[in-house]
Amino acid sequence: MTRTALHRLPLALAAGLLVSTAGFASTASAADTIKIGAPFNVTGALSSLDAPALNGAKLKVKEINDAGGVLGKQLELEIYDTKTDPTVIASVASQLVSQDVPVGMGFTDSDSVLALGPIFQQAGIPFVTPGATSPKLPDQIGDMIFLACFGDNVQAAAGDEYLMNEAKAKKVFLLRDNSTEYTTLLAKYFDEAFTHDGGRVIARDDYKSGDKTFTAQITKLKALSEKPDALYVSAMPDDIGLIVKQMRQAGVTEPIVGGDGYDTPLLIQVGGKAADGVVYSTHAFMATDSTPAIQKFYKDYKAAYGMEPENAFAALGYDTVGLIADAIKRAGAADPKKIRDALAATQGYKGITGSISYPEGTRVPAKTVAMIGVKNDKLYLADEVTPKWIAKP
Amino acid sequence: MSAPRGLPRGLLAGLAGIALLALVTWLLPQLVSNYLVRVVIVMCINAVLVASMGLANGFTGVFSLGHVGFVAVGAYVSGILSLSAHAKGAYLPDLPHWLAGITLGFLPSTLVAGLVCVALAFLVGAPLMRLSGYFVAVATLGFLIIVNVVLINAVDFTRGARTFTGVPLETSLPWAVGWLAVAVAVIARVVYSPVGRRYRAVREDTIAAQAIGLEVLPVRLSAFMLGAFFAGVGGSLYGHYLGSFSPAAFYLAYTFTLISMLVIGGMQSLTGALVGVVAVSVASEVLRNLERGLDLGIFTVPPLYGASQVVLGFILILVMIFRPSGIMGDRELTLGPLVKPRQEGPGREIKR
Amino acid sequence: MNPGLYIAQQVINAISLGSLYALVAIGLSMVFGILRMTNFAHGDMMMVGAFGTLLLGFAGLPFWLAALGGIAIGALAGVIVERVAYRPVRGAPDVSLLLTSLAVTYILENLGILIFSSSPRNFPLPDWMNVALQFYDGQLTFTQINVVTVVATAVSLGFLGWFVTRTNAGIGMRAAAEDLQAAQLVGLDVDRLIVVAFAIASAFAGLAGVLWAAQSGIVEPHMGFTPLLKAFVAAIIGGFGSIAGALIGGFVLGALEIFIVAFLPSAVSPYRDAIVFALLIAFLLFRPNGLLNRSQEIKL
Repeated sequence: MTRTALHRLPLALAAGLLVSTAGFASTASAADTIKIGAPFNVTGALSSLDAPALNGAKLKVKEINDAGGVLGKQLELEIYDTKTDPTVIASVASQLVSQDVPVGMGFTDSDSVLALGPIFQQAGIPFVTPGATSPKLPDQIGDMIFLACFGDNVQAAAGDEYLMNEAKAKKVFLLRDNSTEYTTLLAKYFDEAFTHDGGRVIARDDYKSGDKTFTAQITKLKALSEKPDALYVSAMPDDIGLIVKQMRQAGVTEPIVGGDGYDTPLLIQVGGKAADGVVYSTHAFMATDSTPAIQKFYKDYKAAYGMEPENAFAALGYDTVGLIADAIKRAGAADPKKIRDALAATQGYKGITGSISYPEGTRVPAKTVAMIGVKNDKLYLADEVTPKWIAKP
Repeated sequence: MSAPRGLPRGLLAGLAGIALLALVTWLLPQLVSNYLVRVVIVMCINAVLVASMGLANGFTGVFSLGHVGFVAVGAYVSGILSLSAHAKGAYLPDLPHWLAGITLGFLPSTLVAGLVCVALAFLVGAPLMRLSGYFVAVATLGFLIIVNVVLINAVDFTRGARTFTGVPLETSLPWAVGWLAVAVAVIARVVYSPVGRRYRAVREDTIAAQAIGLEVLPVRLSAFMLGAFFAGVGGSLYGHYLGSFSPAAFYLAYTFTLISMLVIGGMQSLTGALVGVVAVSVASEVLRNLERGLDLGIFTVPPLYGASQVVLGFILILVMIFRPSGIMGDRELTLGPLVKPRQEGPGREIKR
Repeated sequence: MNPGLYIAQQVINAISLGSLYALVAIGLSMVFGILRMTNFAHGDMMMVGAFGTLLLGFAGLPFWLAALGGIAIGALAGVIVERVAYRPVRGAPDVSLLLTSLAVTYILENLGILIFSSSPRNFPLPDWMNVALQFYDGQLTFTQINVVTVVATAVSLGFLGWFVTRTNAGIGMRAAAEDLQAAQLVGLDVDRLIVVAFAIASAFAGLAGVLWAAQSGIVEPHMGFTPLLKAFVAAIIGGFGSIAGALIGGFVLGALEIFIVAFLPSAVSPYRDAIVFALLIAFLLFRPNGLLNRSQEIKL
């Protein structure tokens, strides 16, 4: 038995590797398509963020192909589920490189981009992330990595200016989720910007994504001897509706301000009436009464997936494909180097999440920040901000 | 099996093994794509981790869920040590002075990481190894969770929940294969020695082992510490393979992956651990590529992301039903005279 | 703020959270008591129960009926999993049982993603459940959901108490938990008892799932994972395998989590989980049989 098991082993291994390499053969046939590598964490802990981004991307690809494609060729997403596992991400990255994709896009968090980045960088293939908002990311990896969204320092500064100028708040209570990079970084940038502008964080507290009761933090907040003018809550999409609801139920009436994690239908669905008085920074005003392009996106997304865009990443995924297609068009060929240079030269690409330009030498776009408020279960555009002082990445 | 008389068997086997490994590490990248080389590197790292996990879990019967805690410590310690001074300034500005000035090479930082884990294992193990059964599993799970919380909060050293990055990408195929060879050789040496017999005596019947004068605690603790050493080494390999990681990478999901490899292969066998790693890795790579959809000419199977985990789950259950002690049980494949297996009677397969 | 009211508020918070932990922990402990099996898939029955309720609600059933239906679906799922996956491996080494339940978790959670997508869904509640009750100028508040949670926990515990002391199946279950072999020897139908135990445990998980979803407002495929981990701790604190112990453990854990954040400095609250698990390890070392010191040989 032991002998046969030993003999079978290389056989099984060879068969397995054959099957996994066969994956390349089946897709390599079409020469009239341009492939875009698309690794996303469709399953695992990050799936609720990555899956909408992928859905948005698929929608844009279909739209472009229906309109005749790019350079006369059809776009094709080379989708891989990376399962929220860094080792799978690294393997998929080299798989994509060996498939000679000219460009890649994916992910909504820095961990994943950092696991993939060095491999794309080394191969000289550009990669655009729709949703990893850490502004340091491109410099950490190299000149092949682009962000399609603004950095967290920008939206934190926008939140700070809104609080200072519109809400006239000088004292805030800072609550953050300490278990993710996005929420800790956003809280840090906000703290820096708010303090720089003369505000004061009078107290701070932490929770962990996945907590379902914030009653202890809330009771503590209510017991503060000095009352804050407003609250800045750095939270993930899955948690914010509940936080807002529990706050309001407990009688906390101060304005609640936060970042693009709030940009999900859950804020109003879960928060209900409680969401009134919430203001958040995000990429664009996403609602049915917004611009025609956004209305179309809304309608098409619902038709394709049976629900409204789950969060801001859906629109960012959509725009990332548009941005890449635009660059390919300007590059004139599906060549990694040319696409990279075209991407870096992007000026004023009109996406639904705003206009994307890469200022000389940077790979984080300068974008305006939309401040969205909630009133009577409805979203409204509270302000559009180009922040003056932005914390260093 | 028998080596020529007059030659030291160990030396011969060792030289042959090294030659073989060198050949493989040289040959493989020539033959297959970079992707497959990467799969093999990950397999080697996981094999180091699973083999060392099996040392405590399979051979002394202490079921530890905390192994990944040591992996995390290994990755962070070696990462901090091998980060260049420039990267330290950029990513870890609040590092204490004495640490900020040090930059070690890959090998020394890996060794230090392993030794730090040994020391930690001593501190943690001295009380915990008194427990047994489920209770040690729960207590070590607690250790894992505490490590995670501390990593998230020790911002000066780890950047907290933010990605720890800038670690030089040093884990190449020769390093991974080399460390795997060292781990297997050391663990095999220990397990199939008088010390190893003590391990198994403690596993099979704790009270009987005590009756013949074996002190259970030192036996278990030594296995736990040796396992922790290679967990730290594996963590360092992992960190220098990816170059960046965060506490979330070393948590329950990774623990469950390693456990399934260990149990599928057979907990009480060193080769079982290796077989488990290969079986689970190959299965998940193949399934992961299959779930992207198939074009079979006549009809197409649409992509079903997540299907690979479902199928893998069913395979796990089937293995548990038909081979509850794993593929290898407590048997070993003889890989030459380096490993001298001795059948110690049938393993206790049914406990309750 | 009045310190007395502050403490009272935190106690209310603790009871509400503790009820949920207790509900999950009891099911976990029941199965462990009989089979010596750590059922990692127990948390997924919460997910099944909550999604069941959601679907029945979409089908037009009133909330309470949908909730009962969801709980029944949770119970059914538990029984099916026992029959298909756990019974064939019964008697295998402990780790094999544990791994089998992990495999079931893999399967259920990823099926959940395949069927419902991984995005959290809103869990709609009748309006009255969202009403906040306020006393002393809002210094003492809780919502109707908290009341429903505590009442539902109390009622189901009452039922369980009656069941294990007054019915043949319940007494048989306790006998099986004492000694499975002996129960078999005296002619008890162990297979049937185990099915009953899984049905009840999973129904409790289903109920906890509905209440958890009601409190958090969302349902998603991974929702059972965190509560399972907490329930695991609660069950250990109370003495794994003991139903009363799990109940007490649930409340102790709920209180610990709330009080660490409420009464210790803010700098400490990020360490909440570490403190809880450190206490757990201390418990294992110094009081290994839990608060209700049931004797069991676990130490050297």
